[in-house]
Amino acid sequence: MSLRYLGRRAVQALITIVFVLLLNFLLFRLAPGSPERVLLRNPSLTPQAVQEIRARWGLDKPLVPDQLVAYVESMAKGDLGYSFKYRGEPVVDVIASRFWPTIILLGSAELVAMVFGLALGAYAGWRRGGRVDRIGNGLGLVLYSMPYFVIGMPLVIIFATTLGWFPTGGMFSLGVAFASPIDQLLNFLWHLTLPLATVSLALIGGYSILMRSSIIETRGEDFVTTARAKGLPEDFILRKHAFPNALLPTVTLIAINLGYVVGGAFTAEIVFNWPGLGTLTVDALNARDYPVLQGIFLFISVAVIVANFAADILYGYLDPRVKTE
Amino acid sequence: MRQLQRTRAIRLAAAFFLTAAVLLPAAATATAASPLVLREGTTQDLDAMNPFNTNLVSGYEAYLLNYDLLVNFGPNFEAVPGYAASWTVSPDGKTYTFKMHPGMKWSDGTPATSEDARWTLQFVLDAVKAGKSIGVGALDPYVANAGITAVTAPDPETLVVTLEQPNPRVLQMYVPILPKHVWGKQTLATIGDFKNDPPVVGSGPYQAVEWKTGEYVRFVRNPNYWGQQGAADEVFLQFFKTTDSMVQALKSGELDYAHSLTADQLNALKGEPNIVTVAGGANAFTELTMNGYMKDIPGGGASTKALRDPAFRDALGYAIDTKVIVDKVLAGYGVPGTTIVPTGGASDRWHVDPTNPRHFDIALAKQKLDAAGYKLNAQGERLDKEGKPLNLRLYTTSTGTEWQQAAQFIRDWFGQLGIKVTTQVFDSATLGNIELPPEAGAEYKAKWDLVIWDWVLDPDPNNMLKDFTCAAIGSQSDSFYCNPKYDALFEQQNKALNEADRKTIIGEMQQMLYDDAVYHVLYDEPQLDAYRTDRFGGWQNQPIKGGFPIGGGQSSYDYTLLTAAGASASPSAAAASAGPAASSAAGATAAAPTPAPSASGGGGTTGGSNATPLLLGGIALVLVLVVAAVFIRRGRAGAKEEE
Repeated sequence: MSLRYLGRRAVQALITIVFVLLLNFLLFRLAPGSPERVLLRNPSLTPQAVQEIRARWGLDKPLVPDQLVAYVESMAKGDLGYSFKYRGEPVVDVIASRFWPTIILLGSAELVAMVFGLALGAYAGWRRGGRVDRIGNGLGLVLYSMPYFVIGMPLVIIFATTLGWFPTGGMFSLGVAFASPIDQLLNFLWHLTLPLATVSLALIGGYSILMRSSIIETRGEDFVTTARAKGLPEDFILRKHAFPNALLPTVTLIAINLGYVVGGAFTAEIVFNWPGLGTLTVDALNARDYPVLQGIFLFISVAVIVANFAADILYGYLDPRVKTE
Repeated sequence: MRQLQRTRAIRLAAAFFLTAAVLLPAAATATAASPLVLREGTTQDLDAMNPFNTNLVSGYEAYLLNYDLLVNFGPNFEAVPGYAASWTVSPDGKTYTFKMHPGMKWSDGTPATSEDARWTLQFVLDAVKAGKSIGVGALDPYVANAGITAVTAPDPETLVVTLEQPNPRVLQMYVPILPKHVWGKQTLATIGDFKNDPPVVGSGPYQAVEWKTGEYVRFVRNPNYWGQQGAADEVFLQFFKTTDSMVQALKSGELDYAHSLTADQLNALKGEPNIVTVAGGANAFTELTMNGYMKDIPGGGASTKALRDPAFRDALGYAIDTKVIVDKVLAGYGVPGTTIVPTGGASDRWHVDPTNPRHFDIALAKQKLDAAGYKLNAQGERLDKEGKPLNLRLYTTSTGTEWQQAAQFIRDWFGQLGIKVTTQVFDSATLGNIELPPEAGAEYKAKWDLVIWDWVLDPDPNNMLKDFTCAAIGSQSDSFYCNPKYDALFEQQNKALNEADRKTIIGEMQQMLYDDAVYHVLYDEPQLDAYRTDRFGGWQNQPIKGGFPIGGGQSSYDYTLLTAAGASASPSAAAASAGPAASSAAGATAAAPTPAPSASGGGGTTGGSNATPLLLGGIALVLVLVVAAVFIRRGRAGAKEEE
């Protein structure tokens, strides 16, 4: 039974990935504007040069079947092609160089937001109408509605430019010879502080709001009343009974968010000059860098699909009713 | 009990963050003796380290630091020694003999001879002769325009270049001289794929040793540079995503130079301690282009034949107040435009003012339109000669917010003439497609009326002038201007031997384009930069009058003019004890063993190699997990206690 559930989910995930692959190809080529045009506002470029550039990138061939066949072939080989913008740098390398900065920033921000957001939401919901709820819920809503740069820019101006406690951006101090890897790590953490604070503040809202409503729902359930009747302490009921049950809907949010971690946080990356995947996506879009865009979209899609697949399995584990459906 | 626990947790967390806040900044400065570093910020991401594969300002800047041109550009864009130390011209003007610097070496220690220069020029020349282009095709036109027929290297210190006719453009070629022992194996088919990954071997003042795409390029001083050694040990070209972050970094002292700011940012930076702002000429102009394509295009083309009429285009010029655009859109920076050779920047000396400049006068514009046969109807709409109300589509790009603002002004002014204007914004790639005529390919239809866009020029205006020749329709021409008289003048200026003669012809060409109202140049673009003076001195504008100090893809000699300002300003001063005797001050003056660009490149801990972010990420992740685990365990423990 469980195996069949697993198999069905896996097949669904695979079909989605194939669909994404095809969509990926079409989507970017349907967009108006072609990559070699980006080069054109250069008074010394000759028409032959443009033709040769087209030929070099295979853009002179028809979309179907030539470009599609080449695309499927290379995908099958795990070859994502070469970047137009970076003049032939392999897409895998371009994405890889931006991968870890994004994972570190967003991954840690997700974790921080999850821990604080869920705790805040649970506490606020449990004492609905209390001081923590009123302040916390209000704050959660405000943060949830704020884009990264609205949170980030004041942080930069206060803590970096004015007070000088933290750097304004980047991952490391440039041109500094670090005495040891520990120094380098501290320098990195120093640079990470403000962007991490920004992204986690923005994410806390989503978690706390969902957790709050979920806990409020759970609070009225029979088993909570039973626990109360048994004379268990409030805090204990929240932690051992209400919280685990209320966690279920947040699993979906967590799974989706974790999937999008690889997408990066474009506006936060811009404010802090963080070399992540979000800014790479926008740069690639502006440069009509199809191969890089395809690579990123494929990557994000697969990450989201895998994260959802994991959530499905986790669901089955957390809530046995799901498996039998 | 619970109350107590919570306070304890809060206290713990507070202690943790406080220590972190105190430790981290301290840790950041506690380093070994650091090199003196010039940090230069730009919002233009570098695309390629191979000079043939870039056509961006940042790309030119990188290769001009890495390499020399055969003849470099001096403080006022005059010809100064580059890879060649000196040169003589034969009496007939067709043979240039260049002498190399004696005993010159590449940054890796290999002798740099005339053979390297011969190889480089011959390589480009072969491509030109075969009708091919190299890489993205931005550099080979310089060799083609110079009219080179042969290059020889009779001895290691002599290079002889023969021209088909006298042509001073041979001294203005943006073609970096490359080391044959590194590039020699490349062919025309392979050179576009050659990455030229750092560490780069070159003859310029600084060589790239590390390139983190989208982040920065790190250059170190070339110990073998033939010219004056710069004070900076290293140069970081740092890429920003927005000028806002760049301004913050400059203010906090994390950056020494910020390129291409907005007028508001520049004004806000004025009066900041240790910061100097500079508004120079960018050697670029923004224009209103009119679709003057002379034939009908089925399913495309301009919406009216009026745009083909010079009298109509001329009249429109009287309804554009370039001063208002400069004042309102550029906050007063920039110069109201006239001809296609901009003032203030590198090609300033080729600019010739029109003899009959237009002025803003709506009444006169109306009068001229009436006289040319474009009358108003009863509804106050102006009609073209076919009797159709004029309704012009004005397009511009999403990157140019100034252009979008200028478009609003133009819409209002033309509206006062009875000409309706609808504006629309496209991304650059799309607009480039829309603009092209059928000559570029059957799929192109030039379906537009007016476009606001800009051009960036070389120090020599030759290529810009070329864009208005008949042959340029289908590639660079977006005015579709075609005039045999102009083409003849273009050939003439190309052959003119002395600068005065050439300037006369070029002036005539500028006047011709102005009279025919091919473009309405709205303004000559300003280059708004800012730099700090507390770490470096010796900033000098290029050109000295009306220019800006470093970068901009023009030349690299100005980097070597910089001097260290107050050695103690370096962050390494605090940790001088960490290193042996060599203090940062000594490092700034004596460049003893110097950080030569060795094969190990970024092997040091500066910046971090590819593996470190992974390691750091792991550690950060573990840290967060540990904190999370502590929280959960704390919760469980608390629960057990109470159970």
